[in-house]
Amino acid sequence: MNLEIKNLDVAYGNGGHTIQALEDVNLKIDQGKCLALVGESGSGKTTLGKACLGLLTNNARQRGTILLNGQEIDTNDETALNTIRWKSVSMVFQNGAANLNPAHRIIDQVAEPLIQHGGAGRNEARGHAAKVLEEMGLPEACFGRYPHQLSGGQVQRVLLAMAMILDPGVLILDEPTSALDALTKGVVSRVIEEGRSRGKAILLITHDLEFAVRSADSVAVLYLGQIMETLPADELFSNPLHPYTLALKRSYPAMNSARDLGGIRGDAFYRTIHQHGHEDETDYLHSHIQVPESSHKDGHAPPSGCLFSERCTQAIEECQKGRVGFEQAGTHTVRCLRRGIVDMLELKGVEKGYDSVAALCPIDLLVKAGEIFSLVGETGSGKTTLAMTAAGVTRPDQGSRLFEGRDMDRWIKKDYKSLARRIGVIYQNPAESISHRFSVLETVAEPLTIHRVGLEKGERVERVKKCLADVHLSTDRAFLERYPHELNMGALQRICLARALVLGPRLLIADEPTSSLDPSVQAKVLKLLLDLQIERGLTMLFVSHDIGLVRKISDRIGVMLQGQMVERGPASSILSQPCHPYTRLLIESVRGAFSLELNRGNNRQYPAGCPFAPRCPERRDVCDKKPPQLRNIGHVQVACHFPVERPL
Amino acid sequence: MHINMSRDLWQDPWFLVGLSLTLLFAGLALLGPPLAPFDPWDISFTPISSPSAAHLLGINDGGQDIFSELLYAIRNTVAFGLLSGLTALVIGVLIGAISGWFGGFVDAILMRIADIILAIPAIMILILTAALFQPASYILALILASLMWPTIGKAIRAQTLSLRESLHVRAATQMGGGNWHIIRRHLIPEMFPLYLIGFAAKTRMAVFMEASLAFLGLFDPSRKSLGMMIAYALKYYYMEVWWNWLTPPILCLSLVIMGVTFLAISLEKVVDPRLREALVEKTA
Repeated sequence: MNLEIKNLDVAYGNGGHTIQALEDVNLKIDQGKCLALVGESGSGKTTLGKACLGLLTNNARQRGTILLNGQEIDTNDETALNTIRWKSVSMVFQNGAANLNPAHRIIDQVAEPLIQHGGAGRNEARGHAAKVLEEMGLPEACFGRYPHQLSGGQVQRVLLAMAMILDPGVLILDEPTSALDALTKGVVSRVIEEGRSRGKAILLITHDLEFAVRSADSVAVLYLGQIMETLPADELFSNPLHPYTLALKRSYPAMNSARDLGGIRGDAFYRTIHQHGHEDETDYLHSHIQVPESSHKDGHAPPSGCLFSERCTQAIEECQKGRVGFEQAGTHTVRCLRRGIVDMLELKGVEKGYDSVAALCPIDLLVKAGEIFSLVGETGSGKTTLAMTAAGVTRPDQGSRLFEGRDMDRWIKKDYKSLARRIGVIYQNPAESISHRFSVLETVAEPLTIHRVGLEKGERVERVKKCLADVHLSTDRAFLERYPHELNMGALQRICLARALVLGPRLLIADEPTSSLDPSVQAKVLKLLLDLQIERGLTMLFVSHDIGLVRKISDRIGVMLQGQMVERGPASSILSQPCHPYTRLLIESVRGAFSLELNRGNNRQYPAGCPFAPRCPERRDVCDKKPPQLRNIGHVQVACHFPVERPL
Repeated sequence: MHINMSRDLWQDPWFLVGLSLTLLFAGLALLGPPLAPFDPWDISFTPISSPSAAHLLGINDGGQDIFSELLYAIRNTVAFGLLSGLTALVIGVLIGAISGWFGGFVDAILMRIADIILAIPAIMILILTAALFQPASYILALILASLMWPTIGKAIRAQTLSLRESLHVRAATQMGGGNWHIIRRHLIPEMFPLYLIGFAAKTRMAVFMEASLAFLGLFDPSRKSLGMMIAYALKYYYMEVWWNWLTPPILCLSLVIMGVTFLAISLEKVVDPRLREALVEKTA
């Protein structure tokens, strides 16, 4: 069977205030497919599941159509609904035991739908129920028990058995794994797997992203009742397109990601729509996004425009205006005015040489808005040159540079200052990057001076203070008047960070920002960078030789060797399954496994073949003759003739 | 810029001594001639007299009041030194900064000129000019300045070159700071001690040079100068007049040079906080 939802709107009425639970939802689940519905609590996931079964409460107003095998389900016709429930569409509700009748033995409860809807006799039904329960891995001794005598995991199995007993064509699972341990999750996973192979259409409602990726074919991301993005499940972690999907992914503690968790800035509970006098119009109908501790007055969200724009880090003015429709983008569909996450910085075929030494061979780099892209590699691999080229400080010999879609070289010539405002840079040595004749105030205010921002003196000091507070530094008078030689490295680096941020840049380029700091200060600075990324949507190009450090903050990693990028891709893939032998060497070295054999020939230029060949354990003849080209392996691009395809 | 700069200065003995001496000689240079009890060119007194109540330092061999002569000589010597030192500093800083910041062809030309000037002995040029053309003293001061700037220029250029590569200047360039901003906020304050050192050295040199030329009698003989006074007094070293005639101009010459030097040292300390700490540690 297949399930199709068209233009579904659901609102819960409650006097003058109406909660908009779902709006303009369009979904299709084909036979044998599983669609995962993910989103924060309150996004309307469960309402969507219930709407399919006509189970919404009386105060819900539902519009739009739900088609089962192409036939519309009439949600007002109770008898028609009753024939569909259990038989064609069944649902496993969340909250486990609350869905079971505490007064009946579980075997009877599982058998009940069979008796009620399947017309089976009592004994036949019980026999079948026992069989299904057994399939779910419930021990026979439990069959006769009452719900309160079972554990949470066992209850979940019972509910699954109940849903499966009539072998429905459509299965809706509402948070089936929320209370389960990893092993019991396997049972749910198996049910989904079997269901798919038997041609069922499965709607999986979950906030467990990893489970969704593993079990589903595609994922729909729901935010405040609107679907923001639908995408193939395997791209949820590696290639999210909508900023909300990316933010959700960052908030999820995935096993193969070492990155520290980030949240999503702001908060949202639900949307209300209500009518009341509004300026000159009476009975003006408008919608709010209700956030905690907001009254009607300050809780106003845009009446129109993108729902996520308030929390979105790449929102522009237009996002607050008209309604945003769905757009197809490759295998994704995305509801975003800017067609998903935009490209912040793009370098194409950039080359740079110093005298006779090639610092950068033709190299491409793409940094997307809101992500942290890290460049790693050994000393002299061209990381800093690439970062400074991206910052517009170093001019490449060849190649083109785009920043926010504009040609950088032309931009630099025409109006360098406006470009400089958008790019902040922190350098490796904080003590040297601040003039020792500048006080803290003068240092942080220098960009304001250069760009003639905040010409009144008080205003400038206020901006400096705010920025210092953002980087967790003191803002009192005495501190503002201190000189660099009176401060420690950690404070200096944070002053540099404040200076880089004071103009509100879109891109932060950090060249080994923590290499001169001790671990505890380093931890603080890194945490600060992550917070800034979440709160300001700051895009970062992070340069480091320390892959162990980089894994804590990166979304994507590029591995550099002798001016080339030999491997790049999502941080989780690169760290768990590095394909290039050089990347493996870097990771192993961080783990303390130094190999003298592998470190030999460190700085040898290797014009003809692969630059890593002299040190490579997998080296073969072709490696000395032909330079490898970047090619795709999974989500990763790697330049190696014989990429390793086993986990580290 | 520095809030407690003045407080630090007032507690620095170098500064106090330097300032007192400089103020004293500046005062003497400005107010000395009006204060002079007699016209120094008046030859109506008894030659080679010992000091008396009327003539504090006695009378020289020409029958002139030595004290009045001294006051006029200080003004000439100090003015010559300041004019020459300041001009050399301005030329040196300008040429050095331009040369270092812009580099390339400009740098090559300016530095070759500096090399040529460095090779010319200043004293010789001055002696020849003074002997052949007998120009006014301020012309000689300017000629001297035009011969002294290369050392300042070279030092400033070297400092500019290293500053240009320093991270904070590069950071300021990245932030969008233009030439003027960087020169004003980064280069000039950064090199402040160099100016003081350069200025002090050149003023000292000019004061000394003026004294030498005067000693050699290359100025207009009617122009009062410490060097000239020393030269005349030296002829009578065997007489008892050396202490009231020879010592005062020598002492004044030394004190002028000391005052300028002390002032430069203390200012340098305060302007450069790192140097300040180092010096405090050393003296403590």
